[in-house]
Amino acid sequence: MVNVKPDYTLDERGEVCPIPDVDTRKKLKEMKSGEILEVLIDYALSKERIPAGVKEVGGEVIAIEEIGPSEWRILIRKL
Amino acid sequence: MDIRLQGLLVGILFGVLLQRSRLCFNSAIRDIKMTKDNYLMKMALIAVLVETIGFHLVAQLGLIKLNPLPFIPWAQIVGGFLFGMGMVLAGGCASGVTYRIGEGYITAFVAAIFFGITASAVRGGPLQLVNNWFGKPITTINNPSGLYAVTDGKVNLTLANLLNIDPWIIAIVFSLLLLAVIFVWKTTERKVTGLNWIWGGILVGLTGIIAYISQKSYALGITGGWINLLRTTTGELDLSKGVPYNWIGMEVLGIIIGAFISAILSKEFKLRMPKDPKTFVQVALGGILMGFGAGVARGCNVGHILSGLPHLAISSLVFTVFIVLGNWLMVWYLFERK
Repeated sequence: MVNVKPDYTLDERGEVCPIPDVDTRKKLKEMKSGEILEVLIDYALSKERIPAGVKEVGGEVIAIEEIGPSEWRILIRKL
Repeated sequence: MDIRLQGLLVGILFGVLLQRSRLCFNSAIRDIKMTKDNYLMKMALIAVLVETIGFHLVAQLGLIKLNPLPFIPWAQIVGGFLFGMGMVLAGGCASGVTYRIGEGYITAFVAAIFFGITASAVRGGPLQLVNNWFGKPITTINNPSGLYAVTDGKVNLTLANLLNIDPWIIAIVFSLLLLAVIFVWKTTERKVTGLNWIWGGILVGLTGIIAYISQKSYALGITGGWINLLRTTTGELDLSKGVPYNWIGMEVLGIIIGAFISAILSKEFKLRMPKDPKTFVQVALGGILMGFGAGVARGCNVGHILSGLPHLAISSLVFTVFIVLGNWLMVWYLFERK
């Protein structure tokens, strides 16, 4: 586990495609530079798509960690 | 080999590939607009390219007759538009919600059931009168090179038989156009854990060709399969006469089984439920729109896009345009509107 304390957490587990991607982008747009967003997902397609998508809204993925069966935690820093 | 067993095996292969490649036409069409991400779209284009050459080749070899879907202009315009909007609400296209059942998505199951029931009602069920609103298919008697299936002297319209030129000319021009788009359009970067866009596209395309050789009457499809599964399973049957499950019904069942096996092996199976129960209403409504759209249009995103575009069928070209417009309108309404 990366030892970073997130400023915000989005629990997107169970959500329908593409809600995890949409919520993540929306949240990142509101955040201030340097803040960290933690996104919990269980949708493999979002895990692959979010890292490419956040660049456009000024985000950078710090880590993607497996936290359970088909569950991941993505840490994103607002640049 | 029994035709139904063949359908099941083709379905399992298709299900494994969909799960590993994450190919979903709802995502493919939406992402090029919403996030300017063309990864899945390019995978779909490769599959269509492989099938365009493959379908014409196996027809040339005499293994099948090309059997494009009937052109009923308003059915494909209205059906495509409703289907396109519906799949955004449902969170997946017809093949998308089918394979995600195997990954454990309860919402995909709800969407697929409402899709299947509505499509059954429209095709030969209590809603079949709606087909009268859209009129009869426009056909031709042209059959250049004799590659097309003929029913009562009529052939369903494609670009080639409309112009009455050798289907290979159109197939090759279309393939070159696809190749140009694939090479020129820069692929969005994505770190995938399954099949990448090139392999996903090639393997799905090859599966489509195998499906056509096996089923004979058409390549891959979803709508007809759900109708067959639901109708046969809930119907009054004379068990002494054999149960009328067919190739495509077993193919749909196979997709779910294949995706399940693949999800288990790649540790991606999980029963998933949304937190807000309103999501169930949304996906059910999406399924109904998709079922109505695919029912009247005679095909869904698989029948018309994956299997239909390689025929250069007029019906499928029209359906594809309107599925894209319906999808983009609903994406704007749900996710982009201020």
